[in-house]
Amino acid sequence: MFFGPRRFWGDNPFKSSYEAVIIGGGVHGLATAYYLARDHGLTDVAVIERRYIGYGGAGRNTAIVRANQRTPENVRLYSEGLKLWPELIDELDFNLMFFDCGNLNLAHSEAGMGAFRLQVATAQFMGVRSELLDAKQCQELVPLLDISDRPKYPILGGMYHPPGGTVRHDAVVWGLARGAWARGVHIHQQTEVTGIDTADGRVTGVRTTRGNIRTPKVLIATGAYGAQTARLVGIRLPIQVLTIQAMVSQPLKPFLHHVVSSGTYHCYCHQSLKGELVTGAHMDPWPNYTTQVTAEYLKHQAEALTDLMPALKSLKFMRIWSGLADMTPDMAPIIDGNDPVEGLYLDCGWGYFGFKSGPITGRYLARFMVEECCPDILQPFSLKRYRENRLMGEISTPPNYGPWN
Amino acid sequence: MSFTITCPICGKRNLYEFRFGGEDRGPRPEETDLTPETWAQWAMMNDNVSGIQKEWWYHRDGCGAWFTVLRDTCTNREMENGTRPHDAENPASNGQGRPYPPFVDRL
Repeated sequence: MFFGPRRFWGDNPFKSSYEAVIIGGGVHGLATAYYLARDHGLTDVAVIERRYIGYGGAGRNTAIVRANQRTPENVRLYSEGLKLWPELIDELDFNLMFFDCGNLNLAHSEAGMGAFRLQVATAQFMGVRSELLDAKQCQELVPLLDISDRPKYPILGGMYHPPGGTVRHDAVVWGLARGAWARGVHIHQQTEVTGIDTADGRVTGVRTTRGNIRTPKVLIATGAYGAQTARLVGIRLPIQVLTIQAMVSQPLKPFLHHVVSSGTYHCYCHQSLKGELVTGAHMDPWPNYTTQVTAEYLKHQAEALTDLMPALKSLKFMRIWSGLADMTPDMAPIIDGNDPVEGLYLDCGWGYFGFKSGPITGRYLARFMVEECCPDILQPFSLKRYRENRLMGEISTPPNYGPWN
Repeated sequence: MSFTITCPICGKRNLYEFRFGGEDRGPRPEETDLTPETWAQWAMMNDNVSGIQKEWWYHRDGCGAWFTVLRDTCTNREMENGTRPHDAENPASNGQGRPYPPFVDRL
């Protein structure tokens, strides 16, 4: 029997007032709405989405999750996030296809190995499984890897992070949307927020293309458009929006059982459950709001993949797409609230790390919005860290180390 | 060659010859009485215009010149000399530049 396409959530009337409005129907916005309803009983919530939920970064990322970040503040958050997936699958009653196959990052220089040592030490100190491997051990994990001296940048070793893996990103969006809607949250798609009203330093409402909404609490969770949305209330953010491209190949029989990445080659890949090789990594280095793809990048990706795994040489790419990454100077997100506008919460600047941390951030943000007191775990990510010159060291991750330094 | 930048010395070239140098933030603030707030505003914060913005480029694989261009971040096209950014033309736009292309539902 054929069941046509069906939505997991329903339509609700567009009300003129809500207790909280979440701008952005991606993983972060929907997760916050879900946890507001589930943990705090705050169900009078609207999620306002300009296009359709999951249109932006939530539906364009390459579904990789991990918790081996560079700085302790980040590792703490991402580690909790990683442990949340199985829990979320149970409570949402939705198969998010969490596959903890492990992540393998490759190093091609002593500088890269040095960066891995630091990163592995941080992860282990924080109780996250992560280990250093030599080239031989890398090949045992991924037999296709060429560990000879032939590649342009021969593989010296790697960092293996067993608890990481992949999650079906669209399922996360659908599952959270269904969970939030079932608890009373209104999801308004094709509604653009055109203004945020304030009075006496407090948020009083938002203006949308479907009418005005009165609300004391607004969360900006608009992903790459975060800086633009924040400017509606006059907040400038240190963000640059860069295009990041990804692509999938034709389906192959199972051959790759881990997420493999190389910062030096600017390339990562994993094999999806359909057999396609999902790959991407390089960002176009100039900011733009297009989601254009480029031949330059397709060529780069093919060269990198076949240099690392020569057996892939006749592999065909099927499709390519791009998304937007909102990069901050220290590659860590900006999570803040009630500063300088009461009732206004920020969740942006995630760059290309936004997917893996979505649900956990939503859970803490929901608490932040209800208790109006920033949970410890989110405090390091405040916006004022930039004027306090307290940037996080996330930028010193191995992708920035190669044979050139 | 759809992605091009026009170098004032070398002319119109492939964008991959250039390095992006950030949006134009105006002159560096005076060092006397410089507060961390002012410095962070100038050094890190930016406008992220979706539309035409003035920005710096460096001809890395060419003559090595630094120069400014006006580029539309919604199309990646550079504007001809003399085109004024939307912000300057229309203060009511709140710095938001021009709107996104209309939503088309293809479902």
